[in-house]
Amino acid sequence: MNLLPLVLYAGAGVLYAFHFARRHPSAGRSATTLLLFAALAHTFVIGMQTMEVRHVPFANPSRAVSTFVWLLALSYLYLELTTDERAMGVFILPVLVGLQVIPVVYPGMEYSDPVLDSPWFWVHVSSLLFAYASFALAAVLGLTYMLQFKEIKKKQLGYFYTRLPSLQILDVMNARAVTIGWSFLTVGVVVGVLWTAQARLASPDSPNLQAMAFNDPKIFVALLTWCVYSFALVSRRSMGWTGRRAAWLAAVGFGIVLLNFLPINYFVTTSHTFY
Amino acid sequence: MHLFLLGVSHRTAPLDLRERLDFSSRDLGEAVEALAMRPSAAESVVLSTCNRSEIYVASDDPARAREELVIFLSEYHQLPPETFLPHLFVKEDAAAAGHLFRVAAGLDSLVVGEPQILGQVKDAFQTAAERRAAGPLLSKVFNWSFNVGKRVRSETALGEGAVSISFAAVALARKIFGRLQGRRVLVIGSGDISTLTAQHLRSQGVGDIVITSRTLAHAEALAAAVAGRAVPWEEMATALQTTDIVLTATGSQRPIITRQHLQGQAGRRRNDPLFIIDVAVPRDVEVSVGEIEQVFLYNVDDLQGIVDENLSRRTAEVDRAEAIVAEELSRFSSWRRSRGAIPTVVALRQRFDDIRRAELQRLDAKLAGLPPEVRARVDEVTRLVVEKLLLEPTEQLKALPDEETQVVYTDAINRVFRLRPDDSSAPTPDLSSPKAADRRTGDE
Repeated sequence: MNLLPLVLYAGAGVLYAFHFARRHPSAGRSATTLLLFAALAHTFVIGMQTMEVRHVPFANPSRAVSTFVWLLALSYLYLELTTDERAMGVFILPVLVGLQVIPVVYPGMEYSDPVLDSPWFWVHVSSLLFAYASFALAAVLGLTYMLQFKEIKKKQLGYFYTRLPSLQILDVMNARAVTIGWSFLTVGVVVGVLWTAQARLASPDSPNLQAMAFNDPKIFVALLTWCVYSFALVSRRSMGWTGRRAAWLAAVGFGIVLLNFLPINYFVTTSHTFY
Repeated sequence: MHLFLLGVSHRTAPLDLRERLDFSSRDLGEAVEALAMRPSAAESVVLSTCNRSEIYVASDDPARAREELVIFLSEYHQLPPETFLPHLFVKEDAAAAGHLFRVAAGLDSLVVGEPQILGQVKDAFQTAAERRAAGPLLSKVFNWSFNVGKRVRSETALGEGAVSISFAAVALARKIFGRLQGRRVLVIGSGDISTLTAQHLRSQGVGDIVITSRTLAHAEALAAAVAGRAVPWEEMATALQTTDIVLTATGSQRPIITRQHLQGQAGRRRNDPLFIIDVAVPRDVEVSVGEIEQVFLYNVDDLQGIVDENLSRRTAEVDRAEAIVAEELSRFSSWRRSRGAIPTVVALRQRFDDIRRAELQRLDAKLAGLPPEVRARVDEVTRLVVEKLLLEPTEQLKALPDEETQVVYTDAINRVFRLRPDDSSAPTPDLSSPKAADRRTGDE
């Protein structure tokens, strides 16, 4: 079922690349239209899976990746439609396509652990996935900032100079994405801690819940992520770390998010395995 | 009806002659109205910029139109014809339309791809339209040219990139700061480039423009020109602390802005970008200033390099733009040919309809017994049969590939059906210009 959104994302990616290279307005409009169809198809897939398991499918890592891709696509579309700026599409679409391959290749089964039947769990996961989508956007904005900065600073105005927005716009959008992402990350982590404490009382024998501690790699890296983005916010306000430094922080932060979201989630953690 | 063009441009005439033949400094509408008095110009549009003076007319007799336009130019500008005749160029029909398309696309401009020309072509047409001088043919060809201009701008990079130092500086500022509204500018010294750049920045809506010069009177003169504020030379360092864009062009032999100046400032201002445009020779700003994070330092050679690069990029886009012009010209020519077949088509349909009516009249006695609704139905059916019979030939005639073939076909049809399309009472679109209509009304 995840194949159709993947194909549509890939098609939109090709059109965004063509639009970026040739700056043909109709190619840009077609790219946005195809991405809208891809997001709609993905909404349908997520909706079907929700009806099947009676909740939004993100307890299984592959389905969580699929839901993350869906949220990222919607967040990007919101950004594009509100700023009328398509240049970032060529950077976002490869992320969408690359991650959407995972649920296609490893579909996985949704969880069956009754310990997760709590509204707090769903607030926890959905907040974190939305935070990760915002961080992905911030990282792409940071990357494009660095490309644009390099050309202007070195006085070699070339390929990216004419295609990317101004440094100021990229920096402001980066700050906004990090702030939104950090807010959801904080909510997600706090709700996760509260829910774990509550669930431990209800299910004292659950090995997953017992493993929820700072020495669990997933929890440790999640807190590290929170520290990195907290530093990005504080340093921007009180140390003047805007521009290129903020861009680097956004890129490093998302690198850590990806590390936690994929290899650690799949192979290392013992606390977040309810499947 | 023919499209006819006569004019001078930067390619055919020197500047002093272009100045003497310029219409834009006088009332362009007055020129259009004066042209309307000439019988050979059924429709007319005058396009006049600093690089060209061109008159477009729709005329049945191009040779006569040429003579009358030369007399018009001579009388209007009070110049003997021999002073400008060797510099005139003349184009007809497809060549004239192609020229207008190239002009609107910016391909015929002194600086290829310059953006103002499309607006000037629109203004010229608007002036003529307001005076009812632009009829169906000129309306069609000018509106077509607007689309060509838009296509070339959206599908090629012909108009992209600044091609003057001052515009290049403003374009860079926009890439650094985005919108320039409210940005603070410091101008140090004065000169042509800094004045022009400050004026461009002002037109972009920057906030405070502070000007300082060793001679306060110079700073005050520039401040008056760009709605800025002059401050004494001693306040330069203070002004530097709060500015976003610095424009410097003094005659100083030693740098006046050093790394020490800005590192202290950078600490106080945290990490806000600072764009320094140093157009002075020798340079006013120490080279190492450009190494400071968030300081973007450009000197006159850097900006000239951007201009040269942009010009060469524009030149590389010329072929793509010419291809769009050629494609649109081919479509326009097809449209013109399809109009050329209209008198024959109208006459042919008239002949068939006459026959249909005559036959119905002949059978009137036999049909008299029928109820009125059945008679109406018979009338409708016969009309539909004629329509269907003529549908395919009409389409074929309109789609003939070239003028020669069209003449052969229309001539054959005229002979076979004994048509006299020129005498057709039905007006053809090209012949029903507002002015022609006005004249008819006047005659009545």
